[in-house]
Amino acid sequence: MSPVISTTTDQDALLRAGIDRSLRHPVMFFLTSGAAWLAVSIFLGVISSAKVHSPGFLSSCEWLTYGRVFPAHINALVYGWGMQAAFAVIIWLMARLSRKECTSVGTILVAGHVWNIGVGLGIVGILSGYGTGMPWMEFPGFAWPVLLVSYFAILIWSFIQFRVRPEGHVYISQWYILAAMIWFPWIFITANTLLYCMPGHPVMGAGINAWYKSALIFLFFTPVALGTAYYLAPKVTGRPVFSYSLAKLGFWSLAIIAPWAGMQKLVGAPIPFFLPYVGAAATALLFIPACAAGVNIIRTMLSCRETLEVSPALRFTMAGIAALIVLALAAVLLNLPGSTLPLTQFSLSGYGFDILALYGFFSLVMFGATYFIVPRVTRREWLSRRLIKMHFLFSVYGTIFVALVALFGGLQQGVGQEAWKEPWATAADSAFPYAVTITFAWSLILFSNIFFFIHLTLMWLRLGRRSSHPTLLVSAHGPNPYGEEGDIDNAGPGHATAH
Amino acid sequence: MSLRTFILGLSASFGVAWLAIIVVPFFKMRDLAPIQLSEAMDGTTGVFFPKRSGRVADGAKVYAENGCYLCHTQVVRPTYAGNDMYRPDWAGLATDADRGDTRRETNAYDFFGEKFAQIGVMRLGPDLSNLGRRVETIHAPGGDPAGWLYRHLYQPRGNPQLWKSTCPPLPFLFVKREIKSSPSADAVRVDAAGEHEWVPGSDAKALVSYLLSLKKDQKAPASLNFAPKKASGAP
Repeated sequence: MSPVISTTTDQDALLRAGIDRSLRHPVMFFLTSGAAWLAVSIFLGVISSAKVHSPGFLSSCEWLTYGRVFPAHINALVYGWGMQAAFAVIIWLMARLSRKECTSVGTILVAGHVWNIGVGLGIVGILSGYGTGMPWMEFPGFAWPVLLVSYFAILIWSFIQFRVRPEGHVYISQWYILAAMIWFPWIFITANTLLYCMPGHPVMGAGINAWYKSALIFLFFTPVALGTAYYLAPKVTGRPVFSYSLAKLGFWSLAIIAPWAGMQKLVGAPIPFFLPYVGAAATALLFIPACAAGVNIIRTMLSCRETLEVSPALRFTMAGIAALIVLALAAVLLNLPGSTLPLTQFSLSGYGFDILALYGFFSLVMFGATYFIVPRVTRREWLSRRLIKMHFLFSVYGTIFVALVALFGGLQQGVGQEAWKEPWATAADSAFPYAVTITFAWSLILFSNIFFFIHLTLMWLRLGRRSSHPTLLVSAHGPNPYGEEGDIDNAGPGHATAH
Repeated sequence: MSLRTFILGLSASFGVAWLAIIVVPFFKMRDLAPIQLSEAMDGTTGVFFPKRSGRVADGAKVYAENGCYLCHTQVVRPTYAGNDMYRPDWAGLATDADRGDTRRETNAYDFFGEKFAQIGVMRLGPDLSNLGRRVETIHAPGGDPAGWLYRHLYQPRGNPQLWKSTCPPLPFLFVKREIKSSPSADAVRVDAAGEHEWVPGSDAKALVSYLLSLKKDQKAPASLNFAPKKASGAP
């Protein structure tokens, strides 16, 4: 190795370490508070789901009636966990890929606290009976401007970092993340102004709301997760992305198709006829961007199987991308007008689909990113491979049950609903086993995320292992691929290249 | 690709859809013209305007705040989109004493007085488009429809026919008070000693008034009707 190269590598390593150090508190703040909201959301999810099959459960308490716990659960999941996990990953990835240290930690942390206060007050508002009754937008009216302002205060710096980056190649992850950063405010402002500030037709309002839900999933959570996966897969395996033209196809097909999706949920309602059909067609076509990106990322990960087996980041990402493929199949199978759409339109599959997207796909990729990012920003390694394995197994089993409900439960229930010669009670009964399954799935996921939250909090307190060895999912007594274990702080500057 | 081109590309791909399925339909539907009835097709003249009485705005707020829309829908889909029309009591009444078969699809004029149409997301419970009609003629015929709904909201499983109902009870919409002379007519429960009774609170009253206003089976103009009935004797 020539001395010149060595110096550049060292400078690189120092730059990366500098970026990581500058982002330690914002990243850990968003991940930890996100994980806390995730635990709250899942806990509310278990309660609300139990009420679907046992309505008497906790029914005497006004705050815990089903109609309030369920919106609180889904809003905590979307705005408490989902958005904050995305913030953590976006600010870190954008800084790393644009090679710029974060210089506005104070503003980001203040805005992050404002975001959390906004979400907290919103949840209390829903539980105390001030919900608005619009799915995914149930926070009382004061919340959305607060969230919007703190969104800009958190992410504007990443946009600036991209603008002032050193000239050079723009990586596919940056495309996805930049696009998500632009799409979110556009969607959020559109839906909120049209529903809160400008009186329109009530049915069109419901249409905009259905579009908002779909757009939030496919134009914010999906690009953030795909951008992250496109970063993690080549980074951890050390191999290039399988196909760059496939990556471009995946990106632009998502950008062109996803904005049309969503209104298929209103087929048969009195809005212009083309809207639900365009929505159904676009949702089914989302199979293209999902598969292009999914196959590309999976092929990249498979190019180095040894790493895939031991790396927690890759294992979670792989599971998340597998869930994306299932989600894409479900998008086709559940939205065929005239055959499956009438069955699934008002069944559990709507909820199952949302959870498969938010938890099975997005959250699992975010967990993968967390397992990669946190040791770098805290300079400590994860404490326990068992905690990681538990988190993984219970999350994956939970997701599988949710997917089963989305795909089979929804159709089964829909068949019951459409059997008009039978009394309605028969249709209601056919949902029962799937409602129990959802409670079971949430219980597994709750169990898994309690481990995650504890592990993450210990890491933020810098109680992680001081070691030069990453925590890998290998057997405890086997030979470590990194050789003898050593203390990270003894490695010295010449050895910072380990990252 | 420069940032400028990238943002232009994004704006174009998103903006076209945004204009076509959000902005333009929003402003078009906002100014929905009233439907003129024609003598030839509707047998009458004037403007179609579904009548609705009751505390619609107040009640819709209570409906939203307590999440009724999570399990109940308010849309009767045309038959191309589902079988709602066939159910004997969802889309209207199959056999009304005066009007015959009143069943019809939901139309855009049915949500008059509401800010947000609670089309709904799931049917764990039945559709409520014609709940008011259903309660008055089927569940509590000739009796006290409001009382039936109060008892249902207080404890859905209290009704022996609905012993398997998964509808959450809403006892917090009711107020406990001392019985002065005799129990009030609206009381949903009287304690064993006969000293206290539970009567509907203001939210329960608004909600029930709203639910009873759900009668979306007035005759729709022929231009909105998916399957207009042929006049008898017509070819």
